[in-house]
Amino acid sequence: MAARVLIADDEPCITDVVSRKLRKEGFEVIVAADGQEAYELAMAERPDFIITDLQMPRMSGLELCVRLAAELAEPVPILMLTAKGFELDPAEIARLPILAVMTKPFSPRELRDKVCQALQDLRAP
Amino acid sequence: MIELRRVAAVILLCVGVGAGLHLLLDPLRNAGQGAADKALTLGAGAALAVLGAIGGYLIARIPKERIRDVADRLEVLVRRGRVGMAFSDAEADALGRFGHAVNRYLAFVKDEVEQSQIAVKERQIQMKVLEAEKRHVEAVIHAISDGVLVMDSFSDLVLTNEAAKGIFGFQFEAGSRVPVEEAITDATFLDLLSEMRESGSLVPHRTAEWKRGAGECERAYRVILNTVFEGRKRDRVSGVVAVLHDVTREKEIARAKSDFVSSVSHEMKAPLASIKAYTEMLVDGDADDPAEAREFLVIIAGETDRLTRLIDKTLNLSRLESGLIAANKADLAVTELLRAVAEVVSPQAAAKGIRLEADLAPLFFHVHGDRDMLYQAILNVVSNAVKYTPEGGHVAISTYLDDGAVVVDVADTGMGVPADEIERIFEKFYRSSRSADTAAGTGLGLPLVKQIVETIHGGRVAVESEVGKGSVFRLYLPAVR
Repeated sequence: MAARVLIADDEPCITDVVSRKLRKEGFEVIVAADGQEAYELAMAERPDFIITDLQMPRMSGLELCVRLAAELAEPVPILMLTAKGFELDPAEIARLPILAVMTKPFSPRELRDKVCQALQDLRAP
Repeated sequence: MIELRRVAAVILLCVGVGAGLHLLLDPLRNAGQGAADKALTLGAGAALAVLGAIGGYLIARIPKERIRDVADRLEVLVRRGRVGMAFSDAEADALGRFGHAVNRYLAFVKDEVEQSQIAVKERQIQMKVLEAEKRHVEAVIHAISDGVLVMDSFSDLVLTNEAAKGIFGFQFEAGSRVPVEEAITDATFLDLLSEMRESGSLVPHRTAEWKRGAGECERAYRVILNTVFEGRKRDRVSGVVAVLHDVTREKEIARAKSDFVSSVSHEMKAPLASIKAYTEMLVDGDADDPAEAREFLVIIAGETDRLTRLIDKTLNLSRLESGLIAANKADLAVTELLRAVAEVVSPQAAAKGIRLEADLAPLFFHVHGDRDMLYQAILNVVSNAVKYTPEGGHVAISTYLDDGAVVVDVADTGMGVPADEIERIFEKFYRSSRSADTAAGTGLGLPLVKQIVETIHGGRVAVESEVGKGSVFRLYLPAVR
């Protein structure tokens, strides 16, 4: 069964390009346009991997991470895709249940590799 | 009888000389120079005694008429307040010679007295100048908007100005000495002062940051500390001077600038991220067919345009704010501007099936303004209205006079702005939670409108809005009377 990836970003171009890249890799992709929608989709669809922006309407990426970590029975690896990479406090990032941070502009190729690697690590015993 | 006459003549002469000296010394006494006064009085007393003795000896040998004549001349001198008797060369007798000697002596004393008077006057002037300079320096120190504190080597505050009083809330009178620990309670600031005094010549100059208060009331100061030295080698610390410059506003501006740069970079990264991602997809052969490749290229072109608009608007706003663009004002007809804007926006409205109505007054209302800037401001408002109005909606532009202002109303049947966001939509890069979902925008259009209408044209921008029903953006521009 194809792994299911949720991508949350308020920039339609970003969700579009990431979806295209991951679908070509055989992933099933779910798209959310803001934090609230991402939270609802994550709770309902139980994706295997989440890619989220930091600054989004209705619910920020940080709040999304914290809520999902608290409410999901099984933790889901999350990758934060943000333009504010260097402004984030590394200590704060370390405390959050985030697998990795990737800064915009980003390489879809590298993003795909990170997702594949993370899912592979999860499946490995 | 002769003896009696001579004794009287000596007394008369002494009185005459004494009167002469008195006349000379009087101004000095009035000058209040105690030491000089005493010295001169003593000198004059001694001179009087000597003159009396010599006079007594000589006068004993002089005929009565000559003495009377000299006595008369002395009386004239006293009456006229003059120094120096007139003796002709013919009066070569002992009294004549004595008279000349007395004259020379009086001239000498007069000269000395005059010199002393000049010196006293000079000293008085110097004192007055010093006093005035001291008052001037104090006034200057008090007028300085920075806080100034001077602490001596005994840790007493010896000088503080009004600004320092305001910062620390000093209660004591200006000019009084107060132990620094009594005057200042802030431990950090006291440490700064004592560190400075103790470091002596090692660190004679230092700048430190110091904060007072908390939260909203917090003020930030740059404290410039200098050690004051004395002694021939200037190696003894005699005090510390602290100047406190309020940098709260500067810090706020720096923070606002940094936030602005951060926001601009963040906003620019969004289109840049798309451009990079789609380009990489093309390079990696991720486009399945030429149609998909073309789709990527169209997105790249669109995002490039978005980046260009963002850069242009940022530059425009920053130039307007910094006053780099001077407004080129002239009397112009608002109606004509609105017509031009409506013409430009109508294709955009037609594409969404929006009815764009321009109910323009038949009268041409005139404002004094920069045509290009006002055109840009009105265009931003009208194109926003079209952008945030759903398909099949309605946008109406109208203009009228209201209390000396030409008002431009742009009403739409769009999504509306929530009441708590109305003020914020004029902040740079702020995008309403609802607008972000609906249409692309830079978040700089409305700040630009506000800057152009309010700062440059002295007008006002007002918004009335109801979520789900629509908004009216109202631009008030001062009318030409």
